[in-house]
Amino acid sequence: MARFAMALDYKNCINCRACESACKQENGILLDKDHYRIWVGVKEIEGEFPNLSIASQAYYPSQCQHCDNAPCQQVCPTNATYYDQNGVVRINPEQCILCTYCINACPYDARYVDNRTITVDKCNFCADTRLANGETTTACQATCPTKVRIFGDLDDPNSEISQVLSKREYKQIKAGLGTKPKLFYLI
Amino acid sequence: MKVEVSRRRFLQGSIALTIAGGYAMSPSEILASAKAKASESGQAGRKKIATLCEMCVNKCAAFAYVEDGVVTKLDPNPYFPKSRNMLCPRGNAGVQALYDPDRLKYPLIRDGEKGSGKFKRVSWDEAYKYIGDKLAQILDEEHDNRSTVAFCAGEGVAEHTFKNFFTGFGSSHFLNHASLCLATTVSGYALTIGGYGSADLVNADYVIMAGANRAEAIVTPDTMDFFKRTIGRGAKLITVDPRFTNTAAKSDKWIPLKVGTDLAFVLALTYVAINEEIYNKQFVATSFNNFEAYKNHILSSGYTPEWAQKITGIPAQDIYEVARTFMSHAPRAIYYQGRRTTWSKNDFQLRRAQALFSALGGGVDVKGGICFGKNLPLIGHDVPSPIYDNAKSRIDKNEAAVVGGSGSWVGFRNMILEGRNPYPIRALFNYKHNPMSNMPNSRKTAEFLKKLDLVVTIDTMPSDTVMLSDVILPECTYLERTDPVKSFGGIEPAIAQRNKVVEPLFETKAVIDIMRGLTKNISKQLFAVTKKYDTEVQDAIEKDGEESVYGDFDLTKAFYESQEELNHHAVANYPDAVQALEEKGVYYPDMDKYFKKLNVNNYEYYPESKKAYSVKNGKLATPSGKVECKIDSLVSKGIDAMPLWKDEYLKEIPDGKFNFITGRHAQFTQSGSSNNKLLLSLVPTNYAWINKRVATKRGIKFGDLIEVSSKVGKTTIRAYPTEKIGQDTLFFVHGFGNASSDLTLAHDNGGNDANILEDIIEPMHGATCLHETIVEIRKV
Ligand code: SF4
Ligand code: SF4
Ligand code: SF4
Ligand code: SF4
Repeated sequence: MARFAMALDYKNCINCRACESACKQENGILLDKDHYRIWVGVKEIEGEFPNLSIASQAYYPSQCQHCDNAPCQQVCPTNATYYDQNGVVRINPEQCILCTYCINACPYDARYVDNRTITVDKCNFCADTRLANGETTTACQATCPTKVRIFGDLDDPNSEISQVLSKREYKQIKAGLGTKPKLFYLI
Repeated sequence: MKVEVSRRRFLQGSIALTIAGGYAMSPSEILASAKAKASESGQAGRKKIATLCEMCVNKCAAFAYVEDGVVTKLDPNPYFPKSRNMLCPRGNAGVQALYDPDRLKYPLIRDGEKGSGKFKRVSWDEAYKYIGDKLAQILDEEHDNRSTVAFCAGEGVAEHTFKNFFTGFGSSHFLNHASLCLATTVSGYALTIGGYGSADLVNADYVIMAGANRAEAIVTPDTMDFFKRTIGRGAKLITVDPRFTNTAAKSDKWIPLKVGTDLAFVLALTYVAINEEIYNKQFVATSFNNFEAYKNHILSSGYTPEWAQKITGIPAQDIYEVARTFMSHAPRAIYYQGRRTTWSKNDFQLRRAQALFSALGGGVDVKGGICFGKNLPLIGHDVPSPIYDNAKSRIDKNEAAVVGGSGSWVGFRNMILEGRNPYPIRALFNYKHNPMSNMPNSRKTAEFLKKLDLVVTIDTMPSDTVMLSDVILPECTYLERTDPVKSFGGIEPAIAQRNKVVEPLFETKAVIDIMRGLTKNISKQLFAVTKKYDTEVQDAIEKDGEESVYGDFDLTKAFYESQEELNHHAVANYPDAVQALEEKGVYYPDMDKYFKKLNVNNYEYYPESKKAYSVKNGKLATPSGKVECKIDSLVSKGIDAMPLWKDEYLKEIPDGKFNFITGRHAQFTQSGSSNNKLLLSLVPTNYAWINKRVATKRGIKFGDLIEVSSKVGKTTIRAYPTEKIGQDTLFFVHGFGNASSDLTLAHDNGGNDANILEDIIEPMHGATCLHETIVEIRKV
C-alpha cells in the first residue's frame, strides 16, 4: 500500500523526449507517432523573429496525473478504470469497451486509443512492468538526462518526494477542477 | 538490395538462403532467431549486463536486460561519471537497432553494376578471398604503393581496432569524421590554450553557447550538468544561434546573429574586454604570450561593437553587455567550445578568437572554466607497423595548411575526381562510415565511390554508402560485442568498457573478428607483392631470411588475442578493474570509496577535493606554455597569426534565397539512426524550417512539400513555417532522405542535406564548411 506520485523539476526539461522513448521500450507501446503515454507540453512561440519571447517556451513534461479524484474513473461505464492499491489509476483491458468517455472526461489529455490492445491506454506509473518487476521507480524517471522526476510514496513522510514537497514550492495543473492531480511541478 | 541466390547454393538446400541479405525479415522472425541463438549458447533466464551505448559518440553507460536471449530494455547505468545515470532517447532506442529487420546479415559481393543494389550472398571465406585477390592485383599493378588503398572510419571505440589493420597495411591515407566535424575547433583551442578541454558546466556561472545546441545535440556530461542550473538557478546562459533552439529556450538571452558572422561577434567582445580593461589582468600577465600584439591588433583594427553590429546584425549594446557580464563572472565564465563545427572558411580563426576571449577572463584550467582534467592511463597494445618502401605519402597534404592523420576528406575526394591525384587511388576500406550522407555533395561522393576498383564496407545497416560498395562485411551491433576498453579523462576521470550483451545475430561479427579473419586470409598474399617490388625487403630477406622479415609484415599479429584478453591487459595496472568493468562497466581508482548515491536522481563520483579542476600548474600544453595570442609558424602556410576579420567573409544572400544551415535534434543521430523504428515514432521525418511570414507570402503551409536546391543538387522535404528562424535562413536536420531502398523506413524519408551542401573547404585543415551554401526553394 502506497500513494504513488511524481514531483517534477520541470525547469530542467530540455524537451529531449528520452522519457517517451524509455516508456515506449519499457511498456511495449506501439511504435507509432500517435501512440504515447508521456509528452512535453509546449506552446507555439510568441513574437516575431528576432523578437521572440523566451518565457513562452517553457516545457511542461506531462503524463497522466493519477488524480485522486479522477474524472476518467467516474465516467467509465464498466469500471475498467480503477484505482489500484497504490493510488495508481489503472485500466483493465478486459473490461474496456472503447466507449472513449474517459478520453473526453480527462482534463489533461492523458488518454489515447491503443491500436494494439484495442483499449484506451495511458501512463500507469509502470505498475505492470517495472514496479511489478521489483523496481522502485518508473522508466521515465530513471532515464531523464536532466533528472526532472522524483517518483515515490506520498504516504511515507520520509520518502524523497514527501521531503521535497514539504520543502519546496510547487504547482499543480488545473488544480481548480478538483481532480486532485498527483503530479507536482516544482517551482 | 536485391540478392542473387545462385543455383548451386540453392541446390545445397538451405532454405535460409532465400532470405539472404536484405530480404525482409519480420521483427518476430528476428526475435525467434535471437532466442534460438540464446538457447544454443545457454543464455536462458533474465540477465543484466553492463554495456556502453553506441547510438551516438557519447558512450553512455547502460545496463541491458536480457530475457531468454532477447534484449528487452536498456536502462541507465549510474556508475559512469561521464553519463551521470541517464540514457537519451536514442540510447533507449538501441534495442530497435539490434532487432532492425533491415540489418546487414551476411557477407555480400556486388553482382551487377555499381549502385544497382544487386549483391550475392557469400561465405566469409569467399569474401576474404575476393578482397585478397583484388588487393593483390591492385598492389601488383601499383608496384606495392600501399597508399593506393585508402581507409576511412566513423567515430567509435572500435575504430581503434580497424586502425590497427590500417597501420599494418601501410597506407598513408586514413580519413575520418574530423574534417567533416570538429577539426578546426579542436586545433583552435589546442593551439591557443593547449587543449580542447572540457567545460566545467557544474560550476561555470556564465556561459556563451554559440551554435552549440546542447539541449538537442546532447553531449555528456555537459547537457545533464548545465540545464539543471539554467533559468535563474545559478548559471547564466547566452545562446548565439540564427535559430531559436531548445537551448535558446533555456537561456537568459538569445542572440540571433547572421549566419557566418560569429568571428566578428567574438572580436567585438574581445575589443570591449581589452578597451575597457575588464579582463583578468593577473592571468594575462602570467599566462599570455604576445598579449600586447593581440591587444594592439584588436584595438587598431577597430573591432568595436558598433562595427560588429553592421556585420552580425546584433545591437552593439548587446555586445557591450555580454562582454561586460562575461568578464564580471570570470574566471567562472566560458565561451563554450562546441562540436560539429567548421561552419565557414574562417572557422579556425573563430575558434582561436573564442579561446582567447575565454582565456582573457582567466577561465582556463580552473574550476568553472575550461578544464583539462586527469587521465587514467591504459597499457598500450603493440601492433606491427611495417615500413613499405613503395608506399607514397598522402595526396591531400597540400589541400590545406595542416592536413593531419585523418585527412581532408572532401579535399581527398575532389582531387581524385578532378584528376589531381599524383598516383592512382584504387580502393577504399570503410568502417562504420557513411560518406554518401556525411559529406557535402553526395553526387560527387557517388562518382568517387564508383570510380574505385574496390570498396569494402563494414557496417550494420544498408546505408547509401553500402549500396555503392563492392564487398559488404556485416558487423554486429554494439550490443553484440565487447569493444576495446576506453579511458575517459576529465574532471572526474573513469575507465569504461562495452561488454557483449548477446551473441551476434545472423552471420555478423565484431570488427576484431572480421579483421582476424581477413588478415589470416590475405596477409601472406599481400606480402608476396611487397617481396616482388620492395628492394629494402628483398635485401632484408637475403640477410635475415624470409620468415624473419615476414614477422614484421604479418598483419595477423594485431588480432591474435580476443578483445577480452586485450582489455584485461590494458587495465593490468589497476588491481580490481577487470571485475568492475565486467560487472559495472565502469572503473576508477577508489570507486568503492568515492561512489555514492545522493538521492533517487543524483550520484557523487568523486569528493570535491579529488576533482581534477586544475592540473597544469600554470604551464599550458602550448609551445610557450602560455596562451598563444600569435602563431607565427602558420603564416608561411597562409594562416593568419592572429584572428582577424576580412570583408570577403561577408556573404550576400540574394533576394528570395536562403542561407542553408544544418544541425541536430535529440531524437536521432545522423544517418546511423535514420531507420530506427522507435526514434521515427518520436519524429517521423525532418522538416525544413522556414520563416513563417516568408512561407505565408509564398503560399507554403506546414507539411507542404518543397524542393530545396543549390548549385550542386536538390532535395525534397516538408515545410515547417516558424518564427524561430530568420527570413533569409533555411534549416533542416542532417541524416534524413536516404537513397538506399533497403532501408525500409529511411528510404526517401525527408530531405538530404548532403545532396545540396556545397563542398567548400576551409584553409587550415581542409575541413568542410557546412554553412556556406545558398539555396532556393520551390513548392512542389
Ligand atoms: S526525458 Fe526529461 S528532459 Fe527529456 S523530455 Fe523527458 S522530462 Fe524532459
Ligand atoms: S489525468 Fe486524466 S487519465 Fe489520468 S487520472 Fe486524471 S483524469 Fe484520469
Ligand atoms: S511512469 Fe511509466 S508508464 Fe508512465 S509515462 Fe513514465 S514510463 Fe510511461
Ligand atoms: S547520448 Fe544518448 S545516444 Fe549518445 S551515447 Fe548517450 S544514451 Fe547513447
